Formats: sequence, structure tokens, C-alpha cells
Amino acid sequence: MNQLTLAIREEAARLLDEGTVDVVIGFKAGTLALKTQPAFITQAAAADQLVHNGFGQNNLASFLTRRSDGEKIGLVCRGCESRAVRVLVSEHQYKRENLYLIGVPCTGVVDWRKVERAGGFGPERSANASHAAEEGDEVIVTLAGQEHRFQRADVLHDSCQRCAYPNPVGTDVVLGDPVPEVSAQDAWSAAREFEAKTAQERYEIFAQESERCMRCYACREACPMCYCTECFVDHNFPRWMESMVTPGGTQAWHIVRAFHQTGRCVSCGACERACPMDIKMTYLTDKLNDDMQQLYEFEVGANDDAVPPFAAFTLDDKKRFVR
Amino acid sequence: MSEPWTPRIVVFQCQYCLFSAADREWMDTRLPPNIKRIKVPCTGRISPLFVLNAIQGGVDGILVSGCVPEKCHFKEGNLGARRQLDEFRRFLNYLGIESERIRFAWIDVTERGRIQREIASLEETLSLMGQLERLVTRSPLAVQGEAA
Repeated sequence: MNQLTLAIREEAARLLDEGTVDVVIGFKAGTLALKTQPAFITQAAAADQLVHNGFGQNNLASFLTRRSDGEKIGLVCRGCESRAVRVLVSEHQYKRENLYLIGVPCTGVVDWRKVERAGGFGPERSANASHAAEEGDEVIVTLAGQEHRFQRADVLHDSCQRCAYPNPVGTDVVLGDPVPEVSAQDAWSAAREFEAKTAQERYEIFAQESERCMRCYACREACPMCYCTECFVDHNFPRWMESMVTPGGTQAWHIVRAFHQTGRCVSCGACERACPMDIKMTYLTDKLNDDMQQLYEFEVGANDDAVPPFAAFTLDDKKRFVR
Repeated sequence: MSEPWTPRIVVFQCQYCLFSAADREWMDTRLPPNIKRIKVPCTGRISPLFVLNAIQGGVDGILVSGCVPEKCHFKEGNLGARRQLDEFRRFLNYLGIESERIRFAWIDVTERGRIQREIASLEETLSLMGQLERLVTRSPLAVQGEAA
């Protein structure tokens, strides 16, 4: 049991006891050892279910837009979740005064797929892992009575490996000590690497990735920013794009899904972790965020009142009106 | 013998930006058959999805014709469109669709005949670049937007 887990439980119990919040959203141990599951704690006595470790695959901010309006929510926030909350608040999706943010510094999410690959066990077997734990720089997975050890840095999710903001921002309380932040330069490394390839290579990679899509929309459900009550793909009159699993349909989905995240994506990687087909998606949104930073000096979730670039056009733009 | 290849172009035309009657008449009646014109109330109406749909449906190039900044009929529709469509063009370029295939023409009141020049110049560029084969994945459409 780590110190942070105890601190979160204590804080959650206190908030529920004092009536500051109606529900605390965090993680609890689930049926799979490598994935903790979101927990909605409404009673102080149940607060000891909460855990904090590197196995929380979801972005908890995605639940805000699904809770009833006016409910007071205590949200356990890692760096990406706290920035997602900022974006949601600036888009008027939830009132900041109804939120109590419990910030926890994050050391990254362990990618269960990387564990599967590094350990050489397939999906069926990793689901049977009886125990998973973190010890310093190591991740220990127990499978059929046998212990497998991995270097934590090797099995972190890609987004977490290049995460520029592991510490929560703008939270009501921060538990635990801040973790060191890597330089922001590395944040878009995947996008830069992709961009260095030729046009033909880039298109082929994109086509290969999107080809595997079976349009379950798990990426959309996992994303804190995808909260539209009717998504453009669900429209059937007018039908904006092919709704079948065809190259045309899946490519359009991946292009437009990413494009709708322009200046909004917090690079948490929840979409990739949710994808059952292991499709890479962050290289798309990273490029868009990189552009927003270069063109409009806009950084997602960097401060409380920044308006997203697509909502903040001004006449000053005419100086660099495109041809 | 098949006919020589000519680039297919879709022109998104803001309904307010062509002031000269001769230009409007040319767009309405004398547009070559390889060019399809889609009239929109304002460039702000153009969703990136329209552009994507055109490309997936097999066009080789796209021209967006709108009003210059400050002259927008809806005050700032073209400013919003510019931010979105400019970024969408960059994004498509990132995925392997050359930026030169999507062009913008922000036309002022006095620029009579510019729309013809812009279309001709885009057509020339596209002739050199050849047919766009990437992203052309959409099943052909029959009448009224229903899949064939």
C-alpha cells in the first residue's frame, strides 16, 4: 500500500464526511490485475476501496460530462486529468465551483499491451495475471504463480513516456510530492518523427493504422473531450461520411475525430489504451496540438481562461491570411 | 480512346464575394464540366468534412473562394473558416495530401476576373501534380447522396 493511496482515501473520506462533495471519482482494484477500474464513492466508509497506482488506464475527467449537472464531484486528478478538467470548465461543460479536485502527481500509466509483449504472454494469459504491483522502478506481474519483472520506464504508455505535465494543475489540493517534469520539447516527438517521412510513407502508415479500425468508438467513449450528445458519425441524415467499416469510413473517422480535438486534446492517450485493435492515434492529435502551439501560441489546459484557437479568431488574423 | 485527363476541381464559393456581374454569370453558366461549384452562404459554413468528402469522393483539387477579412457579410465568418480550413489543410498534408491541392482565394470587391485566374492557375498546378490517389476511398455516390 503506497502513501498516496492512503492520502487519497483519507482525503476522500474527509470530503464525503464533511459533505463537501456528493461523490468521489477515483480508481479501485478491478477484476483484471493490470487494469484498475473507475470507482464512484458516495460514502466515507467506502473510501478505502480507492487505490492509486500506475494501472489506471482511463481518464477520469471523461465522467464529468456524464454526471448529472449540479452534483458536487471530488475528482482524483493526475496531470492530464487536471488539464482535461480545465478544458471542460472553459467549454462550460461543468461548473468549477461544483468540483473539488484532488491532485496527485503521476509517474505514468503502465501500458498493459507493452507488458504483454515484453513478457511474451498473449492477451488471454495477461488477463489471468493474479497480481500486479509496482516497486520503485519495477513492475511486478504474477502470472500462474510465476513472477515477471519489468523496468517501469519500458512498459509505460507512449503518451506517458513523453508526458510534459505529470503534475496536476489548478487543483484544490495536491497530495504527495511533485515529480520531475521532462522538457516539453519531447512532447511532440512522435508527431515530428512521423512528419519527417515522405508523403507516400505517411499516407501508407495512416492507411494501415486506420484499416484495423472496426468502429467500436471506444476511443470516443474513453476521451474526456468527446462529449457531444450526437457525434457526427451517428448522424444519418444528412450522412456526413460512410458509416460502414470501409476504408473510406474508417479513414474519415480517424481524420475528423482527431481534427475535432484540435487545441483540446490533453495527450492523455486514453484513446489508444481503450482501442481494442491497438491503433495509434496520438500522433494525429499531437500534430494538431503542435500546430496550435506554433501558430497561435496556444497550449491546451495551460491556464484557466485561454479560449481554444478555433473559438478565438480575431481580425488580427488578416496579417497572415492564407493564400 | 479515352479522353485526355483533366483535373477535377470543387470550388466552394461564398455567395457574397463575387461583385462583378460578369464573374457571377461566368460561374453560373460557363464553368467547365470538370469543375463543380458549391455555393455556400459564407466560408464559415464550410465544414472540414465537406473538404474531406470531396477528396474521398475523388476530386484532385479544391478552391475555397471567400471574402477578404473585414469584408465578410457575417463580419467574422471567414476568420473562423480560415483558422479551421488552414489547419485542416496542414493536417491533410501531414497525412500525405499535398497542401497545393487545396487553395484559398480571398477576393476583394475590385478584383474582377480573379476567380477565373485562380481556377485556371489551380488547374495548371493540378495538371502538373497529376491525379490525387490518396484518400480516394469513398464508394461512389448516386443521386441525392445515397450510396450506390
